[in-house]
Amino acid sequence: MAAKERFTLGRFLLSYGFVLTLIAIVVLCSIASPAFFTFKNALFILHASAPTMILATGVAFVLMTGKMDISIGSTAYLSAGVGIMLMVHAHMSPLPACLIIFAIGALLGAVNGFIVVVLRVNPLITTLGTFFTFRGLALQITNSLTISIPSDLGEFGSIRVGPFFLDTLIAGVVLAAYHLVHTRTVFGRYVMAVGNGVDVAQKVGVPVDRTTFLTFVLAGLMASVGGVLTMAQVGSISPSLGQGYEFTAIALLVIGGVSLFGGEGTILPGIVLGALTLTIIQSGLNFVGASPFVYPLVRGGIIFVAMYADSLKNAVARKVRLIPE
Amino acid sequence: MSDPFLRMVDVRKRFPGVDALKSVTLEAYAGEAVALIGANGAGKSTLMNVLGGVIAPDGGYIEIDGKRAAFRTPAEASRDGVAFVHQELALMPTLNILDNMLITSFPRRKGLIDYRAGEELCRNALKQLGYDFPLRTRVRDLSPGDQQIVEIARTLLGKSRIVIFDEPTSSLTSREKERLFEIIRIMKSRGTAIIYITHLLDEVFTVCERAVIMRNGAKVAESRIADLTRGQIVEKMIGSQEAVAYFQHHERRPGEVLLTVEHLNREGFLDDVSFTLRSGEVVGLWGLLGSGRTELFRALMGLDPIHRGRIRLHKPGSEVVDLSPQRAHSVMGMLTEDRRTDGLLLPMSIRLNMSIANLKNLLYRGWPFVYRAREESVTREYVKKLNIKSTSIEQRVATLSGGNQQKVVVGRWLQTKPLIFLLDEPTRGLDVEAKAELHAIVANMADAGAAVVIVSSDLDEIMSLSDRYLVMVRGRIVKEYSALATKHELLATASGISAQAEGVG
Repeated sequence: MAAKERFTLGRFLLSYGFVLTLIAIVVLCSIASPAFFTFKNALFILHASAPTMILATGVAFVLMTGKMDISIGSTAYLSAGVGIMLMVHAHMSPLPACLIIFAIGALLGAVNGFIVVVLRVNPLITTLGTFFTFRGLALQITNSLTISIPSDLGEFGSIRVGPFFLDTLIAGVVLAAYHLVHTRTVFGRYVMAVGNGVDVAQKVGVPVDRTTFLTFVLAGLMASVGGVLTMAQVGSISPSLGQGYEFTAIALLVIGGVSLFGGEGTILPGIVLGALTLTIIQSGLNFVGASPFVYPLVRGGIIFVAMYADSLKNAVARKVRLIPE
Repeated sequence: MSDPFLRMVDVRKRFPGVDALKSVTLEAYAGEAVALIGANGAGKSTLMNVLGGVIAPDGGYIEIDGKRAAFRTPAEASRDGVAFVHQELALMPTLNILDNMLITSFPRRKGLIDYRAGEELCRNALKQLGYDFPLRTRVRDLSPGDQQIVEIARTLLGKSRIVIFDEPTSSLTSREKERLFEIIRIMKSRGTAIIYITHLLDEVFTVCERAVIMRNGAKVAESRIADLTRGQIVEKMIGSQEAVAYFQHHERRPGEVLLTVEHLNREGFLDDVSFTLRSGEVVGLWGLLGSGRTELFRALMGLDPIHRGRIRLHKPGSEVVDLSPQRAHSVMGMLTEDRRTDGLLLPMSIRLNMSIANLKNLLYRGWPFVYRAREESVTREYVKKLNIKSTSIEQRVATLSGGNQQKVVVGRWLQTKPLIFLLDEPTRGLDVEAKAELHAIVANMADAGAAVVIVSSDLDEIMSLSDRYLVMVRGRIVKEYSALATKHELLATASGISAQAEGVG
C-alpha cells in the first residue's frame, strides 16, 4: 500500500512554510501600521501584482518541464514597444494593436522554443541571449524614449469593475484558464511528464519536443499580456519596462511551490500565494517606513530561502533502493 | 501445440565491434511464458529491444499472429500489443498513479480529460491484478513493488498480447515476488504471451513453461522447462567447453592486510558487508547487475553515506586508522563503470585528464601554480608506460579509442600511487586487444603491491585475474571463494542457488 508519510516538523515546514510566513508578515505589518490591514490596501496589492502574476503564470509551464525562460521581461517590452509605436505613429486603435502585441509575444516565445527544441541549445543560454536581443531591438524601435500611451487608452489602467481593478480580474481569468489547462488537459499532464525526465517521458510516448515548444510560446504570449497591463498601469512605456520581471516571476513561482527541477507545482493556489508573499512584503516594508533600498535585500533573502527549500524537497524524494525492505 | 503467436525469425544485429545478435529465432505462444536466459551481454536485451521497437535489426523479421510486423518506435510496438515492463521502471515519480497509467491514452470529453472515465479504466486494470490503490497517490510514495504493479497495470489498459518482463523481481520483496508470479499466471490464463528475462533460475522454474538460452548473441538451446535441470541451464549459459577450460593465472602471494571493512551498512543498498583486502592481491567482486557491487565501491570511496559499520586502513608503517571519506581519495583509485560520463573530461587533453587527481604533487616549489614541465614529463611517462596510442599528450580525450581512454583514467590514478584500486567494469566495450592490455595492467598493479578489487559482468575476465572471489547478492557478501572456484559455483551462488543443494557442476 501507499506509504503513509510520517508527520515531522521538517516536512510540515517544507510544505506550508510560506503560508505560515505570509500570515506572520501580515500580522506583523498590521501591528506596525494600522492602515496596512485594510480592504483598500488589499485591493491595491492585487492591482500591483497583476502583471507579474500573469508573467509568472506564463512561464510556469516552462519551469514545470524543468526548463527556464529569463527573456520574458524583454519580450514584454519588445511586444509592447511595437504596439505603442503602431498606436502613436500609425494611429492604430487600441484593440487591433493589442492583438498584434499578443501575436508578437507568441512569436518571440516561438523563437525561444525553436532555438531550444530544434537547435538543442540550453534553455538558460537561449533565453539569456534573447533577453538581450529582444530588449536591444525594442530600444532601437522606440529610440530608447519614454512614450506615453494615447489618451483614449489613458484611463484603462484605473478602470474598476465593482471594487476590483480590471487588471486584477484579467489576472484572475488567466490564472483560472491556466489552472484548467494544467489540471484537466492532456497538454497539462504532458508538461508534468516532461518535467519528470525527458528520457522516461519519451519512453512512455509523450511528444516531448512539441510540448516543450508550446510552453515557450505560451510564456511569450503571457509576457506580452503582462507588458500591456504594465503599460496601462504606468501610462507609458519606458526603456526599463519589464526589467527584472523575469526574476520576480521565477521567484514567486518557486515561493509558490514550483520546482526548478521540474515536474512539481500548481497554478492555483501556488502562484497566488507566491505573488502575494512578495507583494505583501514589499507593501508591508513600505507601510512600516523602511527604506526602499531594503527591498532588494529582503527579496533576495526570500528567494534564497525558497530555492533552498526546493532543493531540500528534492533531496528527500526520488530515492531507489536495491535491497527490498 | 498451436501456431506460435509471435515469431522472430533470423534476427541479426551488429554493433561496432560485436555481433550482438547472430541470426536468432524466438517463438512465443499465447497463454505461455517463455524464459529468456543468458549471462550479461548474451544478447537478451538487444533481442527484446528489437521486438519493442527500440532498436532496428540489420536482418530478419517479426511475425505477430501470422502477420508481418516492423516497429520503428516503441509507440508502434505498443500499438500492436507489445508491452514492456522495464527493469528500470518507466514511471514519473511526481505524478499520481492515474496520470502515470493514462499519460498517453487519457479519455477525453470536449477537449478536457475525463477523469471519471479514466479512474474507471485504471481501477479495472488494477482490479484484474487484484489491487485497489488510491489513484491520486503519487508514484514516488509507493514501494518499488507497488510501482511495478502500476507499470504492469499500464500494460493491461491497451490490448497487450505480448508482455515482456525484464528482470522484474530485482527490487521486490519475497511477498511481492509471489504476487508478481500470481499476476503472470492470471495474464497467461487470459491468453497473453509472456517473455520473461531473468538471471535468477529459481524464477524460471516457477513462472515459465519453456526456456530459450542465449550466449554471445546466439540461441544455444531451447527446451521445455520440465526437461531441464538447473545444472544444465547453467552449463548452457556459460558453454560446456569453456566450463572445463582451466584458467591460466599466475600465483601471487598476498602481503599484509591493507583494509578491513566491518559490518558496512547503507540502508537499501548494502547489508552487513565485511571483508579484508591484502596488498598484492586481486579480488574479484562477482554478482549480478543490481547486487550492490557499484554501491560497495561508492561507499568505500566515500561517495555515498554509510549508515553503520567502519572501514579501517592499515597503512604500512603506521597505525590502524578509520578511513574517513575525505581521506579515501588519497589511498584509493577508482575506475567507474561508465568512463565517458563519470570518469573522463572528454573535451580536454590527455595531459589535463591525467594530472587532475595529482595536481598537488605537480606544484612549482609549493607555490599554488602547476609546474607545467613536470606535468608534461609525468604525463609522458605514464603515456609510455601504459602504451597509450595518441598523437601527443595534448590530444583531446574524446578522440581516443575506448581502450586508450580507459588507459588515461588508469594513468590518472597510477600517478597518485594508491594503495587500493577499485575497478568497476574496466573493460566494458573494449576490443579484445585492449582488454588483454588492461588485464596486464591490472596484474602489474597487484604485483607492485596494491590491492585490486575488480567488478566485471564477464565471468571469464574476473576468473582470469582474481586470486580470490567475493560473491554479492542483494547487497550482501554471501560467499567467499578461493582462486580454485569453478564457473558453476560462482554463477550458481550469484543466481541465488546454493551450489551444493543443487549439485551443479
